[in-house]
Amino acid sequence: MANPPIRSFLQAAKAEEVAPALRVVQMEGLAILKIIKHCKEFSPALVTGQLLGLDVGSVLEVTNCFPFPNREDDEELEAEGANYQLEMMRCLREVNVDNNTVGWYQSTLLGSYQTVELIETFMNYQENIKRCVCIIYDPSKSNQGVLALKALKLSDSFMELYRSNNFRGEKLREKNLTWVGIFEEIPIKFSNSPLISAFMTELEADTPVAQGDLDRLQLSTKPYMERNLEFLMECMDDMSQEQQKFQYHYRNVARQQTQQQAWLQKRRAENMARKAAGEEPLPEEDPSNPIFKPIAEPSRLETFLLTNQISNYCNQINGVAGLSFNRLYLMKALHEN
Amino acid sequence: MASKFWTQSDSGSEEERQSSYDSDPENEEDTPAEPTNTAVGNRYLQQNASDSDDSEEQKRVIRSAKDKRFEEMSATIDQIKNAIKINDWVSLQDSFDKINKQLDKVMRVTESERVPNLYIKALVILEDFLTQALANKDAKKKMSSSNAKALNSMKQKLKKNNKQYEYLISKYREKPESEEVSSEEEDDSDEETVSEPRDDESKVGSDSGSDTDNNIHNRDVHDPDMIKKKDKFMDKEFKKDPRDITWDTVNKKLKEVVAARGRKGTGRVELVEQLSFLTRVAKTPAQKLEILFTVVSAQFDINPGLSGHMPINVWKKCVDNMLAILDILNQYPNIVVNDMVEPDENETQKGADYNGTIRVWGNLIAYLERIDAEFFKSLQCIDPHTKEFVERLRDEPLFLVLAQNVQDYLEKTGNMKAAAKVALKRVELVYYKPQEVYDAMRKLADLSEERDDVESEAEESKWSDEQRAPPSFVVVPEVVPRKPTFPESSRVFMDTLVSLIYKYGDERTKARAMLCDIYHHALLDEFSTSRDLLLMSHLQDNIQIMDISTQILYNRAMAQLGLSAFRNGLFTEGHSCLSELYSAGRVRELIAQGVSQSRYHEKTPEQERLERRRQMPYHMHINLELLEAVHLTCAMLLEVPNMAANTVDSKRRVISKTFRRFFEISERQILMGPPENVRDHVMAATRALSQGDYQKAFDLITSLQVWKLLKNKDAVFQMLKDKIKEEALRTYLFSYATSYSSLALDQLSKMFGLSESTTHSIVNKMMISEELHASWDQPTRCIVFHDVGLSRLQALAFQLTDKLSILAESNERAVETKFGSGLGGGGLDGLPLRRRDAGDYAAAVGSGGGGNRWQDSQSYNQGRQGGSTTGRYGGGGRSFGPGQTSGGGGGYSRDRTGQTRGTSSYGGRHSYQSGSSKMDSSARMVSLSRGIR
Repeated sequence: MANPPIRSFLQAAKAEEVAPALRVVQMEGLAILKIIKHCKEFSPALVTGQLLGLDVGSVLEVTNCFPFPNREDDEELEAEGANYQLEMMRCLREVNVDNNTVGWYQSTLLGSYQTVELIETFMNYQENIKRCVCIIYDPSKSNQGVLALKALKLSDSFMELYRSNNFRGEKLREKNLTWVGIFEEIPIKFSNSPLISAFMTELEADTPVAQGDLDRLQLSTKPYMERNLEFLMECMDDMSQEQQKFQYHYRNVARQQTQQQAWLQKRRAENMARKAAGEEPLPEEDPSNPIFKPIAEPSRLETFLLTNQISNYCNQINGVAGLSFNRLYLMKALHEN
Repeated sequence: MASKFWTQSDSGSEEERQSSYDSDPENEEDTPAEPTNTAVGNRYLQQNASDSDDSEEQKRVIRSAKDKRFEEMSATIDQIKNAIKINDWVSLQDSFDKINKQLDKVMRVTESERVPNLYIKALVILEDFLTQALANKDAKKKMSSSNAKALNSMKQKLKKNNKQYEYLISKYREKPESEEVSSEEEDDSDEETVSEPRDDESKVGSDSGSDTDNNIHNRDVHDPDMIKKKDKFMDKEFKKDPRDITWDTVNKKLKEVVAARGRKGTGRVELVEQLSFLTRVAKTPAQKLEILFTVVSAQFDINPGLSGHMPINVWKKCVDNMLAILDILNQYPNIVVNDMVEPDENETQKGADYNGTIRVWGNLIAYLERIDAEFFKSLQCIDPHTKEFVERLRDEPLFLVLAQNVQDYLEKTGNMKAAAKVALKRVELVYYKPQEVYDAMRKLADLSEERDDVESEAEESKWSDEQRAPPSFVVVPEVVPRKPTFPESSRVFMDTLVSLIYKYGDERTKARAMLCDIYHHALLDEFSTSRDLLLMSHLQDNIQIMDISTQILYNRAMAQLGLSAFRNGLFTEGHSCLSELYSAGRVRELIAQGVSQSRYHEKTPEQERLERRRQMPYHMHINLELLEAVHLTCAMLLEVPNMAANTVDSKRRVISKTFRRFFEISERQILMGPPENVRDHVMAATRALSQGDYQKAFDLITSLQVWKLLKNKDAVFQMLKDKIKEEALRTYLFSYATSYSSLALDQLSKMFGLSESTTHSIVNKMMISEELHASWDQPTRCIVFHDVGLSRLQALAFQLTDKLSILAESNERAVETKFGSGLGGGGLDGLPLRRRDAGDYAAAVGSGGGGNRWQDSQSYNQGRQGGSTTGRYGGGGRSFGPGQTSGGGGGYSRDRTGQTRGTSSYGGRHSYQSGSSKMDSSARMVSLSRGIR
């Protein structure tokens, strides 16, 4: 784990002016441990918390965090939650901790985080903080010995589209936005203060194998795969529904088109007759006619999110399957020996 | 308490008496007798101690009102007397009108049909005076003109009026003093009134006067009737000399009576009585027949409205009349009944010795059907838990006799179509009776016949005594049998009738007869016969378009079929018969045994009434609880192994949705109480069975009370037990096969208490149907399981592939819908060809759903797989092209496809299509096997 490059605030301020793109999220060990602890304790319930830190040029430093209380779906509690947040910030400032909000973290179940809610929350944060990030932690995946930590942000083009709330095919093509382009993953960099690093080296045990390494050798992947498949199937069902919506839409459009066609033909025939009679031809467009009203295209946002989820599940299955094969071969080799 | 009450009422009645006596002008001298009067009243009350209080109350009210009327009347009579004294006919006329009006009131108040003596007395006085005045010609001449005019009109009025009361007047004339005496007796000597009620009763015959207050309610019911009848005899003047009555008089009278029918103010009951009197005096058999027909239809009219039923005694008389009609028809075969032609006026004049055909208007079948409907309705209306209902049920043989006779007659006259209809009526009365009930009915018919004989004789004698009725002129011997003849077994009975119907009946009659036949076969446990009948008749295909009552019959037949299948141990068949009835949860409605309340939409009163009219009478009910028990048990036997077999994807293969729903509900219950109703029992049994505890499941099922309604219960239970064991074994194998590598046959058969051969066969069946991946190891008698059963992961993967293929299909379809026109022009040939035929492109795109669409996309798939990619991309590319938005493209490309499609890749299409199904299946296979790996 590399030590953070030392920068002066002046430099940072200078960089700010150029507003370089966010390149990396630098997390303190303390923050990470707190997130892991919180998420793991409440798993499988989903929890969230606030990230605190500093925005330094293209690097976003996350130095501390605090959890939100488990909130229920209640108006009152929500207001209480906001109060709690403010109170917490004040307390932290008093003990001289960074109290600059840089985003939030949340736990997830098998990576099913690509939801409209997440996007909405992100948009909310984005309004206040220019540069914010969402840290996703997946306790179930971490059980297999991987530190499943992700830093996400929404892509700029997507945010623009989301603000205008326009997810029709044309617009998407125009922006050249596909489902891949909704979320941007930002590399995470861990950093500890040199003091801590030194202390850790001091503490480090002699045994070369850690708990995480043992977890990684676990042979049982079945439940995990099954869960993934189940989720995948749910996604498929949703996807089919979405598709039916589109199909319905297209059918309507086609119907409308034939109606328009019939109308146009009639109008043309009428015009011919009028011409023959020496009258002014009627206009060929009639905006007042209901059959010319464009039918609203269903939003593609949901489909995009679903596609994201599906790809996520597929990746997970792929990854786990690949790893398990490795392990199985390893086991086989061991047995043979 | 009681004594207090009595004293109170005493004083009340006393007062009233007092007032009544005070007001009575004739009874001024009565006052001294008052003390004794109270005593009498007291005793009278004691005598009627059983009377309820309010009846007492009511009587008191009536009494006072009546007294008032009587008072008025006697006042008028005084006026008349005064007028007579001064020979004032004008005032006499007024008084006469007045007294007539008062008479109406009095009659209404006393609620009796008897004319009060007071009135008769007035009439006598008037009549005497009138004759006197008329005789005295000199005096008449001397009269003033107005007086003379009044006299004349009075003469006519009185004559007309007195005609009605001729009998009573003559009675009164015979012994006017008796009236006086009795009234005086009643008024003066009150000590004797204790015995008076009885006295009076005996007196009624001779002396119908003395309309005393006390004894009205004691009088016999038919008393007023009798008097009225006597009135009528007078009225008709037929009594004078029977020989004088001619065909013409009867005919005229009949016309008169018939014309009065339906008019306001014509009593329906009286009408019937008048007509039935006419039947007695009818001159020719044809006339008698004609009148009898009118009698029957008048009897139908007695009960207005559709909801109520005909009074039972009227119904019986109606049946008698019908039998009489048949007697005549059989006796005189030259009389033809028809409702098509309007017969000649004087057709019925032709006497018994006339040789040609005599046409009489009438419709036997319609009447018979109406009688049947009334019988049905009466059974619907009567509370089935009363004795009345049972009594009513006993009338069934009566109707059967009638139907039998009508049928015989119709067959004799060659009207087979109508005979089939009548036969259906008979079938409908018998089809739901199991052999035992049928036997009981036969016995009852024999018994009731004897009893009827005695009764009717007694009645006859009473009748003649009372009425001194003239013997009817046309005496027709009872030609048709009055006793039903039943074959030994109900099956024979049904067979003869049903075969007649199949031969001659119309569509509906045949369908109904078929359903009855099916029902009856099912009732007799001949499941296969009735099932074959049902399948051969194809009734299930067109039952939807038949009338509701036939649909109900169909549902009943299905229910009975299900029960029969269950009794025969055919649980799958039983379930498929019953599941449809239970799918909507409206079984009561479907077999018309009660109304099911629906929470979601209220029924209009009109609907409710209709529904109530469709209800089956109680004795025809199929026991709903038994039906439910059978249904759920069958469903359980099918569903438990099914659920065990499809643990992964239990939603997909559901045999009985209803059962699943119930099971889910019962699973959700937190606290499991002991089972109470049928459903609870079956659910508890289901739970036991899915755990392999067959004994408990069997005990739970058999602990239901309803099974005692089942025929040969023990045999059915034995079958049920075997079946439960089998299903328990199957469930066990489904659930735990993956946990075994091998399993000994001995152990398996011991586990479920089944014989080894049975176990063997069950396991074999499961192996063959690939429910169980195993094989036999003969030497060790073991089942060796092959570990090919899907793990959960694999099963899920399979499902996923299914879902993916669905998704891919719909994707293709979506693409097709969007770019359909463009593709159609290019590479895809299957689509446009079909569409050209369809003519209207819009219709094909818009409404072409389902199979056609699906096929299209399939051939599209193959097209793509087959490699005709160039054409497709060409099409696709064009539609993507900037200029061609999908707006105007439709019409253009349609034209184009019509003309140029042939050139593009026409040949290729055929090859793709011909190999389409094979290619498709193979493609699917590949993808599936990929899923397994």
